[in-house]
Amino acid sequence: MNRLRYGLLVLVCLLAESAFCQTGTFSREWQFARYLSEKEANDEAAFVLQAIDKQALSAAQRDSLAYLRGWLAYGTKSLDEASRNLLAVSPGSPFYVKSRYFGAYCLSFQTQRDSARIVMQGLPATDSTLIELRAFEQAGLALLQRRYSRYDILRQQFSYSSYALSAEETRLDAYRKGLAAQKRRSPALAGLFSAVLPGSGKVYAGKPKQGIAAFLPLLTLGLLTWEGYRKDGPTSLRFLGFGSLFTVFYIGNIWGSTLAVKVRRDEFNRGYDNKILFDMHIPLRNLLNR
Amino acid sequence: MTTRFCLICTFLCGICSIAKAQTPLAQVDSLFASGQFLAARVGYERVLFTAESSALQVGAVMGKARCLKQQGLYAQAVTFLNSQTQPGYPDSLLYPLRREQILCAYLAGQFENALSLLDRLPYLHPEVPPSPLLMAIRVLSLNELRRWPEAAIAYHKLAMMAQADTLSMPYRQLPHLKSEKKAQWLSTFIPGAGQFYAGRPGEAALSIVMQSAGLYFGITSFLQGYYLSAWGVGAGLFGSFHAGGVRRAEVLVRQLNERRAAAFNANVRQQVLEMVK
Repeated sequence: MNRLRYGLLVLVCLLAESAFCQTGTFSREWQFARYLSEKEANDEAAFVLQAIDKQALSAAQRDSLAYLRGWLAYGTKSLDEASRNLLAVSPGSPFYVKSRYFGAYCLSFQTQRDSARIVMQGLPATDSTLIELRAFEQAGLALLQRRYSRYDILRQQFSYSSYALSAEETRLDAYRKGLAAQKRRSPALAGLFSAVLPGSGKVYAGKPKQGIAAFLPLLTLGLLTWEGYRKDGPTSLRFLGFGSLFTVFYIGNIWGSTLAVKVRRDEFNRGYDNKILFDMHIPLRNLLNR
Repeated sequence: MTTRFCLICTFLCGICSIAKAQTPLAQVDSLFASGQFLAARVGYERVLFTAESSALQVGAVMGKARCLKQQGLYAQAVTFLNSQTQPGYPDSLLYPLRREQILCAYLAGQFENALSLLDRLPYLHPEVPPSPLLMAIRVLSLNELRRWPEAAIAYHKLAMMAQADTLSMPYRQLPHLKSEKKAQWLSTFIPGAGQFYAGRPGEAALSIVMQSAGLYFGITSFLQGYYLSAWGVGAGLFGSFHAGGVRRAEVLVRQLNERRAAAFNANVRQQVLEMVK
């Protein structure tokens, strides 16, 4: 009887120790990985997190693991992995708020703007600062999507007085004005301009130096063709050679001018997108990265 | 019987715990020895995370630096060692860390950084005599920066220390480096001369032919009354090849200088390594 009691006691002790060890091991490994992440030893931190068996974890532990994996991926600019992990954190986790905001930002950065909008609509906001931050992030996204009317509605929630948001809010307003003032240029019109005067289409598209660079060789080839025609006649090799070269360059310039409008527009949009994303990021770091 | 069994278990557990506590570095060193460098880096970091003894911490730092070196991540090793040279460690432990940092800085190609760290060492550790390895790094870093007069002095000191032959100094015959500006000027006034100066007669001939062809076409077109062709094609070709020739001469001289300096430095490196051995 005594032996049986002793055996039961040992069994209970072993089971309790096993459960305790599992929690303790995860906690220790998680702390260690976070320590590595703070030291920017990202490869080592990823190695430690990789070794953790996900199946044996509780829901809360899985959240902590997803948060840290996401944060690590965010630090190494692997934004796809970062958003996937950060958005997997459940509402009960202490990292939920930070994970949602940064996850939504990662989606915005990856140009998954519609998914980002859906996530941002459900961003947790428990106090006035977070409410304003949510509106700010949504407004930034609206600008990225060029939805100006939505931006105008969201910006009504800007207070312009919060230390962490005021400068960025003012800048977003400036971007809104800059984007609205963008001139709509027509590729067809640029091509037409270049057909009339070579290079002028590129000047119209907003690339004056390229316009001059296109005009000068075409002028030279045109003059050479004219000289060949005037001195040797329309069947001469000189006229046909220079004439063919002029034609190729002339048509190429018209085609290039229509493309230049699109290139210039893309450059303009990319420039503003980078500025908006940068300003969306600053308050997140200041308010949530603690 | 039961009591004896429990006592044996307790004894074995105690032995295992003590052994585990005593050999945290030995376990990680075995990972390093088996070539599992990332796992070893994690192991060394774990020691750093948990260990309280400075000796263990420094051992772990050195171990991680060795792993990074084995993986060719020299710049990362410099940054890591920089973050680990804490003033809390005793001087006797800090010195190997600083020495390792200097070596990694040289291997990472951070020659100015290596020299700056070397200059600081006598002030931070005045009691430690200069080591041949560090003197060799100074010579090699100065060589890479083409500061050969300073390198010659450092080399002489190293040779004296290693009791090597100081008469056959490689610095008696420094590599003759050519002037990029001179090559540019030569090519500006004499087509192809810059390329010839850079030791590329083939390219010089090609440059002369192309520029002459443009000039010839321009002159004959002008004489035949094709004034626009003379200007647009002849002068255009000549101008383009002339400007290109000037730039090419500069590039060729730079490449020649790099080859000569690299050959000289490789020769000195060989001699320095033999001395340090």
